[in-house]
Amino acid sequence: MNEVDIVGQVIGGEFGDIVIREKSGKNLEIGDLLVSEEDNGFLILQVFSLEYGSQIKETMQQMMSGVNLEQGVVDAGFYEPEFVNYVLAKIRALARVSTAKTVTMPKTLPSFFNKLRLIASKDLEFLTKGENQILLGNVRSGTKVIDAEVWIDAQDVFSHHILIPATTGRGKSNLVKTIMWHVLDSNKVGVLILDAHDEYYGRHGVGLKDHPKAKDNLVYYTPSNPPPGCNKLTINLQSLRPDHFEGILEFSDAQWQAIRTYYKQDRDFWLARIMQEPITPVMEGINASTLAVLKRRFRLTLGLDVDDEGRVFSHNEVFDSGARGVTLADDIIQDIEAGKVVILDTSRLVDEAELIIGNIIASEIFERYKDYKVRGELERKPVVTVVIEEAPRVIGEDVLASQGNNIYSTIAREGRKFKIGLTAITQMSSVIPRAILANINTKIILGNEMAQERQAIIASASQDLSSDDRNIASLDRGEAIISSIFVPFAIPIKIPLFEDLVKKKPAADASVKQKVF
Amino acid sequence: MYSFAHLSDVHLGFQKNVPLQQIEERVFEDAIDQCIERKVDFVLIPGDLFHVNIPEMRVQKFAVRKFRQLHEADIPVYVVYGSHDFSPVSNSVIDLLTEAGYLTKVSKQKQSSDDRISLEFTKDSKTGAKIVGLPGLTAGKELVYYENLDRESLESEDGFKIFLFHAGLAELKSEVSAKTDFMPISLLPKGFDYYAGGHMHTHTLEKYPDYPNIVYPGTLFSGYYSDLEENAKGRKRGFVLVQFDDKIQKVEFVPIDNVGYEIIEYNADKKNVKTVNLDLAKSVKEIDPGNKIVIIKVFGELASGKTSEIDFTALREELKQNNVLEVKINRTHLSSKDYNITPASGKNKDEIETNVFKENIGDVRLEQKELLGDPGVKLAKKLLQELGQPSLVNEKKAQYQKRIEENAMELLELKIDDS
Repeated sequence: MNEVDIVGQVIGGEFGDIVIREKSGKNLEIGDLLVSEEDNGFLILQVFSLEYGSQIKETMQQMMSGVNLEQGVVDAGFYEPEFVNYVLAKIRALARVSTAKTVTMPKTLPSFFNKLRLIASKDLEFLTKGENQILLGNVRSGTKVIDAEVWIDAQDVFSHHILIPATTGRGKSNLVKTIMWHVLDSNKVGVLILDAHDEYYGRHGVGLKDHPKAKDNLVYYTPSNPPPGCNKLTINLQSLRPDHFEGILEFSDAQWQAIRTYYKQDRDFWLARIMQEPITPVMEGINASTLAVLKRRFRLTLGLDVDDEGRVFSHNEVFDSGARGVTLADDIIQDIEAGKVVILDTSRLVDEAELIIGNIIASEIFERYKDYKVRGELERKPVVTVVIEEAPRVIGEDVLASQGNNIYSTIAREGRKFKIGLTAITQMSSVIPRAILANINTKIILGNEMAQERQAIIASASQDLSSDDRNIASLDRGEAIISSIFVPFAIPIKIPLFEDLVKKKPAADASVKQKVF
Repeated sequence: MYSFAHLSDVHLGFQKNVPLQQIEERVFEDAIDQCIERKVDFVLIPGDLFHVNIPEMRVQKFAVRKFRQLHEADIPVYVVYGSHDFSPVSNSVIDLLTEAGYLTKVSKQKQSSDDRISLEFTKDSKTGAKIVGLPGLTAGKELVYYENLDRESLESEDGFKIFLFHAGLAELKSEVSAKTDFMPISLLPKGFDYYAGGHMHTHTLEKYPDYPNIVYPGTLFSGYYSDLEENAKGRKRGFVLVQFDDKIQKVEFVPIDNVGYEIIEYNADKKNVKTVNLDLAKSVKEIDPGNKIVIIKVFGELASGKTSEIDFTALREELKQNNVLEVKINRTHLSSKDYNITPASGKNKDEIETNVFKENIGDVRLEQKELLGDPGVKLAKKLLQELGQPSLVNEKKAQYQKRIEENAMELLELKIDDS
């Protein structure tokens, strides 16, 4: 090891809490990745705590400070300060890399008094890119970005669910766009994005539409003024069944009874019929107040209303009671099964309407994939992920307790068997039941200043992050830690700026001007 | 007040049997005659006027006669190619009629400095209507036109504007379909007064923000056999008549009668062949097929027997004796439990094909041992591969068919005799 590269030396501690002395001037950071070269390979270690060390007694240091502060004329200092005062770093081993580049969990301490250096890109050659992988970012050592990219198998990671916990402004949408940018490269993953902020397509700036394969692999639905080539989000009311509301809207027993009665009688037209029904219902066993509440609920959630001519319409222009949008759900499912990324702009909808639309599509995909498994065809189908913001709306403990399971919680629990996963984005991991959190095998942890949330993430991580509390709290925008069963250790990463990815895209081939016949 | 007629998907030359050819010509004649009688200012035909780019001479002579009559009545006809009658080298009867001055193609491309497609409006001299359009190509390839279209120049044009297009619109789909040749409405340039559509065979009128009148007249008679089934179920066919001044005032569907129909829909699910034959024979006796088109639609999974054992020939003969005009039999969704294909999985296409053959070869009852077991699977795979060969560059359809047939026969070690 080159003497200049040395940043510290192992001087004590125990497994998981090793103490090193920092070489003066090296300015180690929380999160720095260090390498201890050992026989038959090396250990990768990470700094998780920094403190001062000194050979001078504390009372003497206090007195020295007093002299400096109170008798300002005296320029008092330490003799050979780099020897007597220093920084102690606490580190822990993350991985052992053999000379054959095999990565295993570390089970030994680094050699005592071993000198350590900062990690370099050549140490991370085991992170090689394979086929059908997605880029999550570059390995990060403290704030330093290492020239080593972290790629992860798309099929594995999406079918085992992804959790993206972070508070506002820590780069969630940049991360999702970055992930989807690489998903768009191939047709190996079908994606349904419920885009509550209309931020992924890039209607008003750069976005996934700028991907070179967007024309073939990206589908965008929006309720109003779709850009050229994009689709109008119109769902026919006939596509809605009572079970699409289960676990999303809370109804009393009497209200459910009324819904089922209308469904039994009017089948596909049950919802329109409820809206058109005079307030004094003609249906036996349904009282007027129940009907009035149902009308109000559907008006508030789906924006449904009835015009002067008795036609049902929706204020948000998404739901249609006529002939439009009959095939929309099937069209979307066909696209997802073809491995495309489908974005639904739900920014004009209230929460419940967004979740119900997602439910219509997700439950149909789930049923189809179950069927494919029975018929032995699942292997040929692309893995599917449903991207949902503010995930506790559907997989939160209180929601599940009060309203029971819904398609999203079913996918979280059982989807893996059928190649369907959730990509759940949340600020509140702590309200997601532990059983579901444990099922989510990849967590891309962004900065979070809330201690309770950090604890929930740490407790459910795939690797031991018990000493990473402060590290997570100090993650800046674009910095993250990946904890996953598909990476050898919890890898700190720097997520690329999406705008930079767009700038780097290959120039389009010079097109030949089309001749119109 | 001005008026124009909008018809499309006439598919002249589609019908193979004389009685249906006569209906095909009669309904078109009726439509054109009505245009002349009603003194429309112009006619729009957004594609598939003909079933192929160069139909047989009978069809061409008939078409020339009718378009000459329109020309003599001073009624211009504005057209774009459809997916059936387009020609990439202007080698379509549409071009012949255009050259003769009977039709005007409105997909005129302007010179432009960039890669985008700029179109030039054609102004109708009598009404001042500005007309422009894009053709349909096979397999939805016209999408590339729309993706590269200079829509700003079209949208900024003032006056009364009509856009002709030949494409299916995703928002107007009414049935789930695996077909991918639908495009979103957003690809059409905005702000035209009227969008004259072709390609969809059912009459539709829809209004969307920025697209006030999206209209398909639908086929005049039939461009696919499924159209006849729709007709038999009561679908009205005709053209659209539009009145306008500086904006659209009235859009009216003008129905044109074609012929009488009878339809027999029969669910053969869980029934044996004998029962099906008896039931169908009884149904045929119960209808009056005289001078009508009869559709027999049989679907479901037979409990036993082959689908080929259903005696459709006898049904046809019975109907012919009662002066039926035409019999169409639809057995697309008919299968037999005894002879169903059992699906099989595999890691790739080759493996799936092998496994499907292996899974099903046991159901084949033949005396020739070389067609059974592993040899049968191998032969079936070779045959499938041979039948899947694409046509060669510049190879004509007849040559391609002959080559594939000969290769398949050689593979099966069969000889074609003179008969």
